[in-house]
Amino acid sequence: MSQALPRAATPSFSQRLLRVYDSVGFLPVVLVALVVVLALFVPRFLSLQNVLNVLRSSSYLVIISAGQMMVLIVGGFDLSVGAVVPLASVVSALTMVWANGVAPGQTAVVVLLGVLAGLLSGLAVGLVNGLSVAFLRVSPFIVTLGSMSIATGVALLLTNGIPVYGMPKAYVDGFGRGLWLRLPPAVYLAALIVALVWFMQNFTKMGRYLYAIGGNFHAATVSGVRTKTYLVLAYAACSLLAAVSGLGLTAQIGSGQAVISAQLTLESIAAAVIAGVSLKGGVGRVEMVTLAAFFLLILTNAMDLLRVDPRIQTIFLGLIVVFAVALEEIARRRTSVD
Amino acid sequence: MTDAALASDAAQRRGLLDWLLVFSLPLLMIVMELSVYAFAPRVLSLRNVVNVLDQSSYIFVFACAQMMVILTRGFDLSLGAAVSTVSVASALAMTGLAKTGSPDAVVVAAGLATGLGVGALVGLFNGGFVSWLAINPFVVTLGSLNICLGLSTTISGGSPVFNVPDVFSRLFYNGVLIPGVSIPITIAIVIAVALYFLLNYTIFGRSLYIIGANPRAARVAGLPSRRYLFLAYLTCSLLAAFGGLMLTARTGSGEPNLGGSLMLESIAAAVIGGVSLQGGVGGVGAVVFGALFVTMLSNSMDLLEVGGYIQQILLGCVLILAIFLDRLRRTRT
Repeated sequence: MSQALPRAATPSFSQRLLRVYDSVGFLPVVLVALVVVLALFVPRFLSLQNVLNVLRSSSYLVIISAGQMMVLIVGGFDLSVGAVVPLASVVSALTMVWANGVAPGQTAVVVLLGVLAGLLSGLAVGLVNGLSVAFLRVSPFIVTLGSMSIATGVALLLTNGIPVYGMPKAYVDGFGRGLWLRLPPAVYLAALIVALVWFMQNFTKMGRYLYAIGGNFHAATVSGVRTKTYLVLAYAACSLLAAVSGLGLTAQIGSGQAVISAQLTLESIAAAVIAGVSLKGGVGRVEMVTLAAFFLLILTNAMDLLRVDPRIQTIFLGLIVVFAVALEEIARRRTSVD
Repeated sequence: MTDAALASDAAQRRGLLDWLLVFSLPLLMIVMELSVYAFAPRVLSLRNVVNVLDQSSYIFVFACAQMMVILTRGFDLSLGAAVSTVSVASALAMTGLAKTGSPDAVVVAAGLATGLGVGALVGLFNGGFVSWLAINPFVVTLGSLNICLGLSTTISGGSPVFNVPDVFSRLFYNGVLIPGVSIPITIAIVIAVALYFLLNYTIFGRSLYIIGANPRAARVAGLPSRRYLFLAYLTCSLLAAFGGLMLTARTGSGEPNLGGSLMLESIAAAVIGGVSLQGGVGGVGAVVFGALFVTMLSNSMDLLEVGGYIQQILLGCVLILAIFLDRLRRTRT
């Protein structure tokens, strides 16, 4: 104690650096190192085409992971996000095809209806998850496992597994595959969502309450936080964001698909966990989750460019997730006093 | 007087409800079978009943594996992928040896050793990280899930490994050991008895319940929690590997997609049977009922010609309902 005091008074440069490192963790360092190495050694990594590609695919994962993070912060889990994406995809595509039949040519109305329907389908799943967890007080693992099964079944039932074509051209070419100010629209969407979640986490009551609920549910309840309402909100927001991501993917693919992105659930949890979001709840920041999502997708992209067999890539990703968490655990043990 | 009468009346009614909750699963099974019988009488034919028992013995083995770790508040997401890897690896070992003309005993022994060896490796990985580094089982088994997925597709090249020797299938699937009882059912019964003994009459088994119910108490009481936790994951993966070998014997080939839905089904069967995800609650009996129920449900829906997509939706609903009933049961007792 007596030694720590004078040291704190006049921090040297290296100590200040260490303190910055302590507050942001090792993720940004690893990310920068990864990008530098790739830029130096992988020729096509910095080509415009590739950068846009990485940005676009990262945006979808960033959006979903931000939602997953909120649920993890309140001490839950959402295994159903990977099923909400295809559900929203199918529902929005079917609605657009139907609306196009009723009011041909009214592109704006058609797209609006489709987007609304897709978002509502996501919201419905989120409400089922949230209400079950908050009011029936059942394990989020099982509830979202169940709703995953249900959502997948509904998406397949609606389409018989056949892709839904016939969405307005403006939606596919303008939003899904187009560029706004040289960037894919999904990037702006992801940036907007990250900014909103960041604001929510840092400057609103809801943000603080979510941390409080995850940190100590009982204490939060006793202090008068309407825990149930906020639990429902977290799950609803998570599914809604998954639906947003599903809409973006649908526009990019150009058809409603009942079987897309089965890996998204695992990837979103992996991104959150690498970003230091605690599975016990109460800890997690959206800016770190964004970095982690980028990290995962840049790594995947690099392996693609280096022609690593996708099957081997899966093995790598598995190892990285476990070792990232193991490293953090070891670091935590070294710094903690007990 | 009236108050007392009311109270005892209420207590009695509550007693009845409690009993209903305790027996909700067997009751549900009877109601389900009888109502299916009205539309598809085949459901109670001897052939179908035997078929259901056969099918459920596989799910039983996987749900038992899952139970070992759920008892300690964990779960194993890698189970299905591990089963695929076991299937492919053991099939490759057996077909390779069979080509060189090795005797049957050597071929089967190699298959068993390879399969259980892969299982042991997965168990070492999961158990090591969960127990010694105290990393969340979700993350660890998510990692091993991906690793196993990559391994099984890589070593098999993504396609099934055919020509698993018949002698292996005879030994673990369609041979005759006890006349009138199929081999999968025999194996399931042996595993059930062994696990019952392990969980109820050994220090390791009893400790798993304490570790799950109250990890801190277990540590304070001086139990070697880490070692037991590690052993639980090892047992889980070995059991899963054994189930994988049984399935390989049934299909007669090593299948890289064998374990696709097994992870969900095994967790569903265990939880529906009454193994609590909060740890410390459950046993072999619960898993027997859970495995039977899941198999009966899909069998009934098949007989009623319910489409696969609707089956998926219903399974999700049943899962949520089951966990809710379990919740009610535990808050009341």
